[in-house]
Amino acid sequence: MWNASVVAVPATESIQRPDFMPYQNNGGTVVAIGGEDYCIVSATTRLGLGFAIPTRNVCRYSILNNRVVLATAGMFADTVTLHKVIKARVKIYEEQQDKPFELRSAAQLLSNTLYYRRFFPYYTFNVLGGLDEDGQGFVYGFDAIGSGEKVKVVCNGTGQALIQPILDNQVERKQQYENKQITNLSLEEALDLVKDVFTSAGERDIYTGDAVDICIITKQRGVFVETFQLKQD
Amino acid sequence: MFLTRSEYDRGVNTFSPEGRLFQVEYAMEAIKLGSTAVGIQTAEGVVLAVEKRLSSPLLEPNSVEKLVEIDEHVGCAMSGLIADARTMIEHARVEAQNHRFTFDEAMPVESLTQATCDLALRFGEGVEEDEDKEEEMMSRPFGVSLLIAGVDDKGPALFYTDPSGTYIRWLAKAIGAGAEGAQSALQEAYYKSMTLKEAETLALRTLREVVEEKVESNNVEVAAVRTDTKKFVIYTEAEVKECLSRLENRDSQ
Repeated sequence: MWNASVVAVPATESIQRPDFMPYQNNGGTVVAIGGEDYCIVSATTRLGLGFAIPTRNVCRYSILNNRVVLATAGMFADTVTLHKVIKARVKIYEEQQDKPFELRSAAQLLSNTLYYRRFFPYYTFNVLGGLDEDGQGFVYGFDAIGSGEKVKVVCNGTGQALIQPILDNQVERKQQYENKQITNLSLEEALDLVKDVFTSAGERDIYTGDAVDICIITKQRGVFVETFQLKQD
Repeated sequence: MFLTRSEYDRGVNTFSPEGRLFQVEYAMEAIKLGSTAVGIQTAEGVVLAVEKRLSSPLLEPNSVEKLVEIDEHVGCAMSGLIADARTMIEHARVEAQNHRFTFDEAMPVESLTQATCDLALRFGEGVEEDEDKEEEMMSRPFGVSLLIAGVDDKGPALFYTDPSGTYIRWLAKAIGAGAEGAQSALQEAYYKSMTLKEAETLALRTLREVVEEKVESNNVEVAAVRTDTKKFVIYTEAEVKECLSRLENRDSQ
């Protein structure tokens, strides 16, 4: 007959230890839009943790050079490390190859860097935006293990489900009854759209708020950063 | 020359009191025994031409390979110990593909040349690596010189490498046994606005001047990287024949 006391594990082996929990979700939302001759890469500044807001002003983007910007949502410690790694690689590249780092090279490097951690990933959700060799704005969206796509508009992070459909509708003119032809947004229109979607997402997503850093990349001015305030609640 | 210079020419990693590395200098001598190769850069692309020494009529000419592709956009001519060149070119090919894998673009010609040269001075005993080192260390300098030709974002480029690991960019360069004569011939005839066709003929004419045998379509190899296509192409025997006939027509005029 089955007896619990017979199969009980010796006391020494049943010591309870805290689980190894290497990840935490700090939230954050990142949006990137590629236009004809500009690119916008934006990232919220709130660092969330559960129901708390430890910090309202963190930097989730990195300017890799005057035409490529990387922005990352997810776990902030991983974000910082990933950005350090990528920036170091870009620096080495520019020293060794003696030429500017192109957008598609950045995309490939980021994808590889993420996939090399396939079985202990950086808990990060990246968007990469900038001007390509022809001066056209393009963006890439990546998942945590490096799968990505070159597109015109992308959103990642906790506000993704709220924002992405609106961007698809307004930038790519998808799911519209009429007016299906794609009309290219001007930089001003795109900027207004970015501010609107963040404001809206801030109403519903507790991890999106405080402020959003908006990097505007143009051939003439390089990367120009402005901060747009969101609600602090 | 063949008397012992001093004890300092034995160890590959030992400087002589005058500050020279004799083994590296001897390796340079090995190149002067090699077959002649020339490279010419023009705005339209870079031409490489090499002499093939066919020591016997029974030898299969197309098994002698002295022009090889490193990557789609870069090729290379060699002179000296060809087996050594293989090691360097294998390394260069890996570097080129590595660059494509990591950065999704063709590797710039200069950094590819640098990467090839990185191997040049990694010889000698006592170089501490991993316990179970993956590649065996070279025990002497490479006795080979390369002409690396390619086209990248910055346009066409021709680089010359030597056993010391130095690389230098040239507009027109000759290496191998006939290098001295060929180089002065190039210096006479080269001009910057040259077309690719003119460079082909100049390369072959230069070889013809310094090579002992009669230059024919089976004992020279010609290749080019064109600026417009950015592709390295080794000429077929028929194409080489065409270049040679162009050269002969020019002579008869």
